[in-house]
Amino acid sequence: MMTRKEKALWTLYGAALFLLFLLSSTDLIIKEKERQIYGISVIIEDTSDENYVNFRKGMDRAAMELHGDVSFITLYDKGSVKQQEEFILREQQDGSRALIVSPVDAAEVLAMQEDKRINVPLILLNSEIAPAGDGITERIGFDYYQMGQELGAQIVADTALDGNRKKQVFLFGEADPVSERFRDGILEELEEAEYEAVFWEESRASLKEAVAKVAEKRGEQLVMAALDPMSLTEMCQLLSDIGTENKMVKLYGRGTSVRLLNYLDKGVIQGLCITDDFSAGYLSVKMAVDLAENRIVEDMEYLESRCIRREDLRDVEFEKMLYPIE
Amino acid sequence: MWSLRKCCTRLSKGRNGECARRMVRSILAGVLLAGILTGCKGMEGEEEKTSIRIGVSLYRGDDTFINNIRGELETCAKDYEQRHGVKVTLDIQDAKGSQNIQNNQVERFISLGCDVMCINPVDRTAASAMIDKAMTAGIPVVFFNRQPVEEDMDRWDQLYYVGAVARESAVLQGNIVVDKYRKEPESLDLNGDGVVSYVLLEGESSHQDSLIRTEWSIQTLKDGGVPIEKITGGIANWERSQASALMEQWLDQYPRKIELVVCNNDDMALGAIDALERAGIDEIKLVGIDATTPGQEAVRAGKLLGTVSADKEQYAGAIFSIAAAKALGEPVPEELSLEEDKYYWSPQEIMVSP
Repeated sequence: MMTRKEKALWTLYGAALFLLFLLSSTDLIIKEKERQIYGISVIIEDTSDENYVNFRKGMDRAAMELHGDVSFITLYDKGSVKQQEEFILREQQDGSRALIVSPVDAAEVLAMQEDKRINVPLILLNSEIAPAGDGITERIGFDYYQMGQELGAQIVADTALDGNRKKQVFLFGEADPVSERFRDGILEELEEAEYEAVFWEESRASLKEAVAKVAEKRGEQLVMAALDPMSLTEMCQLLSDIGTENKMVKLYGRGTSVRLLNYLDKGVIQGLCITDDFSAGYLSVKMAVDLAENRIVEDMEYLESRCIRREDLRDVEFEKMLYPIE
Repeated sequence: MWSLRKCCTRLSKGRNGECARRMVRSILAGVLLAGILTGCKGMEGEEEKTSIRIGVSLYRGDDTFINNIRGELETCAKDYEQRHGVKVTLDIQDAKGSQNIQNNQVERFISLGCDVMCINPVDRTAASAMIDKAMTAGIPVVFFNRQPVEEDMDRWDQLYYVGAVARESAVLQGNIVVDKYRKEPESLDLNGDGVVSYVLLEGESSHQDSLIRTEWSIQTLKDGGVPIEKITGGIANWERSQASALMEQWLDQYPRKIELVVCNNDDMALGAIDALERAGIDEIKLVGIDATTPGQEAVRAGKLLGTVSADKEQYAGAIFSIAAAKALGEPVPEELSLEEDKYYWSPQEIMVSP
């Protein structure tokens, strides 16, 4: 026969167990926060993601951590303003809570927003034009002008005492806004050092011939700078095909693709401007989620970029930037 | 039920006419209701989908062949969007060689509402967990490149596999060497001792293609009358860096003995080429499989004797066509002839250096 005290104790145990059950297995007492998944669309200006590998890694990491559902969209035709516009409208209509756009034409995208055709938060990648500051449009990216200046300085330092008697540098590549800013930075440094910048606008075939000719004339050095990663990759391939001696041809440019890093490692490229694409991907998705949740986003400074040489590839600082651990 | 019971009671009371009318009315109302419901369902089914979402999980994103397939899949998706006006969202994930990560990716695809999944399994023997999840969610799966075991594939009629016949790849690879030996035996038998001494670079031991490629490639050399002698072999797990390290070691261990390098794929052949270039050797012949973009470049440059190309456009095209059809709830296109209604074998051809 249980005493009254024992009965009370057992009842208390029972009540405690029931309470623990309610706490741990139901949301009657502790309400679990409903997990919101944010649909975010990233629309780039290119047809391939070859130059966005690390960016995508950062983007995927942020999507996992911040419950984002990120769609990465490339264009059918490179640099098509119309297609980019169609994709922006389509993604918005399909329920994207924020858009991250690497604009073909930043002014066009901002005009869409001013016309109220874009009514979700917008983040512009690598845009020169600053948004109006209404809090729903932000910018993130790199200072390509400064990057160009750094590379220009490196070219001058490498070639001033090294057989570049004519003080000529051949520039080639795309004419998109980012490349133009990069070019302007290079030009400023070259002009300061009284170098002559020659713009190469020949087709790929004639460029190959021109490079081969210079390579044949021993004693004359050819210094080239590619304005965009794709042109740099093509030139590397061309130099590998021709089999020129590295001493005769000096090649510079920008980009972070594995192919370009391999060319830098092989000595085909002498100087390469690299960017912290992983951080750009991560931060842009974070910014998009913050904007979608109506949180205040701090103004973003330019992200880190550096110009490196072959010997810097094994440097821990750059290794982290180029081969981020996912 | 109410009407029938009541009617039966009333029938027993002898009010037959009224009961019969009630019964007929009830049945008619039931039929009408069923008709309306079926009609609604039919209308829902007929509603055209304007977008599809495909989850793609790759066993390792840095595998060159898989990367090529991934690129082709993206091209197929864009092409499909433009031709059919159906938005295609490709959610491509890299499992980084971990089955656990891949299982999580499958769960994520399901929670994100993918219409179909295309999976390149990390471990072909561990596909059952992914199949369970897909079956529960009712999402069809197209496996590719690494074939799940037959018992798993037979579990559901919404499982498909796209790949290349490993034995055919191996026989074609062997034939590249046989043809070369018949035309120029001295280019393979470098020391003129009447025997071609070879080393073998193999893929993962758990991958079915690796075992079959090795067996049939060597068998073809023997059948083709090439006098061969194996010096050594090693598993480089399909990787360029591992193959390069092994080759460097063998060049030290067997100086001037190796005359041929038989590789289970192009990446390993390229790794062996890296080691040969470092050692300043260019007379040793190598053969690969896959015809990856760098592999093709090496063939054109004469660094690789030949490779076997699984038509990547067709390969990825088959994966995408099956996935798109299943996502839209349609049958697999007739032009894709599926073996046992689930296996598609991509055609292959050889590519030889000039």
